Amino acid sequence: MAHKILLVDDEVGFTELLKMNLERTGAYEVMIENDSTLAIAAARSFKPDAILLDIVMPGMDGGDVQAQLEKDPFLRKIPVIMLTALVDSSEVSEGAVAQSGSVIVLPKPVDLPLLKRVLVESIPAA
Amino acid sequence: MEKVSIVESVLDNLPVALVAKDATDGFRFVLWNKKQEEVTTIRATKAIGRDDYDLFSEESADYFRSVDKAVIKGGRLLKVPEEIIETKHRGEVHLRTIKIPVLDEVTGRQLVVGISEDITEQVRSREQLERLNKTLSEANRELQETQMLLIQAEKLESVGRLAAGVAHEVKNPLALIKLGVDYFDAGIEAGDPNVPKILAQMRDAVARADRIVRGLVDFSSQSSLNREPIHLRTVMEEVLLLVKHELTRSSTKVVVNIPDDLPLAFLDIGKFEQVLINLVINAVHAMSEAAKPTLEIRAKVETLEQVVKNQGARKFEVFREGDKVLILEILDNGTGIQSADSGRLFDPFFTTKATGLGTGLGLSVARRIVELHGGEITIRNRSSKRGAVAQLILPTRLETGKIYLRSEAAMPSPHQTD
Repeated sequence: MAHKILLVDDEVGFTELLKMNLERTGAYEVMIENDSTLAIAAARSFKPDAILLDIVMPGMDGGDVQAQLEKDPFLRKIPVIMLTALVDSSEVSEGAVAQSGSVIVLPKPVDLPLLKRVLVESIPAA
Repeated sequence: MEKVSIVESVLDNLPVALVAKDATDGFRFVLWNKKQEEVTTIRATKAIGRDDYDLFSEESADYFRSVDKAVIKGGRLLKVPEEIIETKHRGEVHLRTIKIPVLDEVTGRQLVVGISEDITEQVRSREQLERLNKTLSEANRELQETQMLLIQAEKLESVGRLAAGVAHEVKNPLALIKLGVDYFDAGIEAGDPNVPKILAQMRDAVARADRIVRGLVDFSSQSSLNREPIHLRTVMEEVLLLVKHELTRSSTKVVVNIPDDLPLAFLDIGKFEQVLINLVINAVHAMSEAAKPTLEIRAKVETLEQVVKNQGARKFEVFREGDKVLILEILDNGTGIQSADSGRLFDPFFTTKATGLGTGLGLSVARRIVELHGGEITIRNRSSKRGAVAQLILPTRLETGKIYLRSEAAMPSPHQTD
């Protein structure tokens, strides 16, 4: 069964292409939420196995969304992977993914094989 | 005898130098009055019976002789606005001279009479004035160059501060392009409906990255003032693109109300963007504590009479009555201006920001740039709401307003609106 991924990012084109890339593997089902203020509601209804979260967004930024997720006893268990253009890929080597608390941060542009590996490692086996 | 002495007495007391040369006797001097003695520092007793070659340099004598011959040949008065003679005791003496051909009826001799006014003092004052003027315009030019350098220095500081945001805005389209490449790299089957969508997204991303990078390059390019006709909204769109990251990050809502039918403004686009970026970034900083930061940008055109009634005439002394002016306002709902700071906003190095956030040159340079455009800038607190408003008043014609630079010749021809 495909893992459910919630993708929260205000960049419409980016989210569409990431969804296409992940879904064609057959391993994932991706739900896009371009409005970060609706991210918590989307997480509650979609019940994703992992959340991909952009940091710089209007309205609520990734940090705000993360804080809201932490407050929810159910949602706080969902692994969060932050995707951001703020981090330079040179700062995040493939072997040592930058970690901020329990949150994993990956740089944009996204290295797809790395993202897939991180997803596999983050999502607990059913 | 008595008649001769009366004439001599009159000639000697004339306030002008007077000589007569006998053209029928090798242009020898036959008359040399007192004033001529003073002017040339040559006594009459030394001069009478001699010619120009005996008294002056060969070069000068050649010149005098040629004029004398021309007077005789032409048979009428000849004016020499300025001639220079070298004197033994006074150095160079400048003369304004009239030469007249005179036929002495008694002797039948052809005379050349020269009447000269000593204009040495006038010439020296004029030369001194010219030197002072040159020094002044040199100083003025250096001042303008320094101001241009200051403007450029402040701009590069802005570029530095914007660079991180611009890099972020470029990385986003790059991230999209990479995903497109990844998709194709994994192999595509014929008739995959995603392919045209991905290609369209990639094209759009390339255009977006190109636009923002080009915007930054255009903005940072150095040039002297080069004004061209442009719509205020076009400039504003470029500016909002460059500060998009700062606006997104601060969740600032932007409301732009710039009508289509506004007259064009004559702007040096790079320098004017510098002004607007400064104002927008200042507003964003001022709204950092606001619950719903909102930036309102609006523009309108007014004729001077209306403006005078509303705002007072003194401010508009740079414009002519009846001129159409563009009014561009940037309003925020931030902390506003502390009354103690209101008089110092445009002072160089005045800043309310923490170290590293600004050098305090932004507004002083902004005002200089607006003045270079023949415009005015004011910043005050909003009367009805929380926050501040920056107001720019700009001419709608090139020739309106003060002309500050001499390089205006390089500009496009004035836009004739009415």
